[in-house]
Amino acid sequence: MSDTMVNDKYETFVGLEIHIHLLTESKMFCGCKANYGDEPNTNVCPVCLGYPGVLPTVNQKAMKMGYTVARALNCRLSRKTYFERKNYFYPDMPKNYQISQFQEPVGVEGFMEFEYNDEIKKIRIHDVHLEEDAGKMIHAGDMSLQDFNRAGYPLLEIVTEPDLKSGEETEAFLRAFRRMVRYLGVCDGNMDEGSMKCDANISINTPGAGLGTKVELKNMNSPRFVRRGLQYEAQRQAKALDEGVKLIQETRLWNENRDITESMRTKEMANDYRYFPEPDMPPFCPDDSFMADVEKEQVELPLARKHKIMRKYGISSEQAEFIHDEKVNADYFEQVMALGADAQAVYTWLSSDVQKELNLLNMTLTESPLSPERFSELLKLMDDGKISGKIAKQVLIDVFEEDRDPSAIVEEKGLSQISDPQAIGAVIEKVMAANEEVVKAIREGEQKQKGFLVGQIMKETGGRAAPALVQKILSEKLR
Amino acid sequence: MKDIDGWKSVLTDQDRAKKYREYVTGWEKKIGSLLEWKLPEAGKIKSSEGILASVPFAVKDNIAVEGFKLTCGSKILEYVKAPYTATGVANLQKTGALVMGKANLDEFGMGSSTDNSALQKTNNPYDTSRVAGGSSGGSAAAVAAGIVPFALGTDTGGSVRQPAGFCGVYGLKPTYGVVSRYGLTAYASSLEVCGVCARTVDTTRTVFHAIRGMDGMDQTTIDYDPVSPEVKTVGVLKVEEGSLSEEVAASYRVSKDRLNKLGYAVKEIEIPAMEYVVPAYYTIATAEASANLARFNGMRYGLSPIFAESPDDLMRYSRNMGFGEEVKTRILLGTFVLRSGFQDQYYVRAQKIRTLIRQELDEIFTDCDVIMLPVFPTAPFHHGQSELTSFQQKQADVYTCLANMTGSPGLAVPSTLEKGLPVGVQFMAPPCGEERLFTVAEALEKEFPAPRPAGYSEEWRA
Ligand SMILES: [Zn+2]
Repeated sequence: MSDTMVNDKYETFVGLEIHIHLLTESKMFCGCKANYGDEPNTNVCPVCLGYPGVLPTVNQKAMKMGYTVARALNCRLSRKTYFERKNYFYPDMPKNYQISQFQEPVGVEGFMEFEYNDEIKKIRIHDVHLEEDAGKMIHAGDMSLQDFNRAGYPLLEIVTEPDLKSGEETEAFLRAFRRMVRYLGVCDGNMDEGSMKCDANISINTPGAGLGTKVELKNMNSPRFVRRGLQYEAQRQAKALDEGVKLIQETRLWNENRDITESMRTKEMANDYRYFPEPDMPPFCPDDSFMADVEKEQVELPLARKHKIMRKYGISSEQAEFIHDEKVNADYFEQVMALGADAQAVYTWLSSDVQKELNLLNMTLTESPLSPERFSELLKLMDDGKISGKIAKQVLIDVFEEDRDPSAIVEEKGLSQISDPQAIGAVIEKVMAANEEVVKAIREGEQKQKGFLVGQIMKETGGRAAPALVQKILSEKLR
Repeated sequence: MKDIDGWKSVLTDQDRAKKYREYVTGWEKKIGSLLEWKLPEAGKIKSSEGILASVPFAVKDNIAVEGFKLTCGSKILEYVKAPYTATGVANLQKTGALVMGKANLDEFGMGSSTDNSALQKTNNPYDTSRVAGGSSGGSAAAVAAGIVPFALGTDTGGSVRQPAGFCGVYGLKPTYGVVSRYGLTAYASSLEVCGVCARTVDTTRTVFHAIRGMDGMDQTTIDYDPVSPEVKTVGVLKVEEGSLSEEVAASYRVSKDRLNKLGYAVKEIEIPAMEYVVPAYYTIATAEASANLARFNGMRYGLSPIFAESPDDLMRYSRNMGFGEEVKTRILLGTFVLRSGFQDQYYVRAQKIRTLIRQELDEIFTDCDVIMLPVFPTAPFHHGQSELTSFQQKQADVYTCLANMTGSPGLAVPSTLEKGLPVGVQFMAPPCGEERLFTVAEALEKEFPAPRPAGYSEEWRA
């Protein structure tokens, strides 16, 4: 199912409501640890359990993170933001209202740029607002149990305008968004663990006719499912319009087992949230020092970073894509480059052998023993002809295993390359003597067997013989 | 010796403790002011140096005290224990005072008679066929009967001042934000505050200063920045003919005469926006209540059916069984006024009226140091709705809910006994003007101290 099939005839409009769990130590309105993976109902207190008489107190760090994201999304930042109560009954929402924002969120009217099909796209942001999460229901047979560890967890909701044009583009946007919040250090962006969630609204219409009948889409737990859900929904709506069936405004759920969307509720059943200002907390008016701190939290955002890396180090878009995906990796790359290295070599090593080691040991680049200094040293040893590429791979493994400098490993294990023709000649003669049959065969024209001798020579030298010299001297001696 | 000092040995002295227990038991049989009470054993009380060392007090049962239940006078919370202690109570405990019991109230503070308590009936100590007022009826009755020298209540629209008036004691509603609301079961968050019922002005003042203070657990608390305590001019609200009962009107005149006699400059005032205060008050109060009471759903604590088909059913059964009629009415009202499309007509308009009233009062306080106004239009009425319907009781909140709408402090002061029943009068001051209220009240206390109901005794005290 392709996007273009729909796009040829209809225009698609997709808007998103993205929820991110903020990486704060404590919950949004109480002092409980924000760690919902713990033993059920261990990170709870009267406040987040909604006991009679308790009051919320706002988490300053979450407030700062909210402003930081809103600022990064180019929003107009509120100088007097306040919370409101969003009233609805939900079994695992302790107060049966959610403290959220409505009239005066932390930021409004922003935009985010991202790359899609080698083009820079600009998506408008409607608003960025803070709120609290609910608990979790666990169904066990006939019983329903509740875990409130997640209740009161700080959430930031980012609402976009319906500017996205297809499922595929939306997936690309989501990945770019995820990367951005990780760059800002406000969320780990794990959709499969629920620390980032995304609901979409989608409508289609004949080109130029504006928005169509909006359908809300929920339950898409990865960027891939978001794409597939939207693609399915665009097709379903197109088919309906083709057949002259009137679309209804409704909420549909993505069923990942059946690869379809299913109706959940129609607009008539929709909640009236009865918002009103939260009387338990005064408005928050950020002062200049707060705003200065928010400014300090800003980092070079992924898109700018990528293009800078491409320009500065002369690498391709694809290579830069890999390098800038995680901020720590981009930082690392630039640190290695600053120590003097070849960008192509750095990229190649990072994307293959280093990545392999990291995967094997399940660690990130920054927590690995391979510091930028060590990495740069390893590349330098290779460049200077001290070690071969093959040895370098071994040294890399040793660095990970022994947490030592490459030069120390090379020296102690005697791994430096043998480039003395006399020494290599001696080894070649020894090998030739031990394999008279093979030598005879080669001299009678079976050149294929030469590789066997090279292998034996490398084995004899522990892989340290300079490969070019081995080839040259061996050919001479076989003549 | 201060009146309060006589209470310091009623729990620590074995002999007095025994008499105290008998005294409380005797009164409770008649008035039922406490939902729960327990006197600590004399030997178990650590001697304390605090200004209220070992002094027993009662706490309205919508305020959390660890070790006691927190019923809010409702079936839905009948067996719920408080898992923590309210800041105001904790502040009092630091002065050495001891919680001896939890006082009855109208369910969740909704009412003016304490008849809306789902758990117990509370009678007026002056006439058990009559109500003690509400919603802090238990607190006021206990103080009037001499069971405790003071009790904490909560005041959302007059809930401390009106029962204090009905029971002939002092009832203070402090400035909004000066006393922490942490631990006060919310009914209408932007209007209510913990208040004090006490037998003397001095005790009222002592307890007020003990409970107040900024609280990290309540971000709406403010720094107490007192205005000058001096009172020269008293604005006396002009009350329309017929809006007060004969007894209350007579009592009001007596208080006014006393002010003249004491040498205050008395100035008649009018508050035109008062016409709208009750509807605006009930719009805001019920809107907030509809959200505040939504948490009582039988899920985590409180009354719930043993089995339900779905979470929705469980919630529906719990609330249906657990909430009384008045509470249901107010939740429905609040839900109604907050409906989408109707907010401008009700909630937003009510907030505008609130601003208007505040402006009118600010204006008045530019040339009046305090103002005097009635507490309630009638003397204590009989149980049930035969004299005042539930609707009339709401209309009668007009004089008290004014202070809640503006955030100003208000103090109910005993004025007279009319046909054997206490009638109070109210004073209001600008925000943080509590000391002005105490100044006037102390002057009036010399003219008419808090009366004593039949059966009242101090003999067992030191
Ligand atoms: Zn908590």
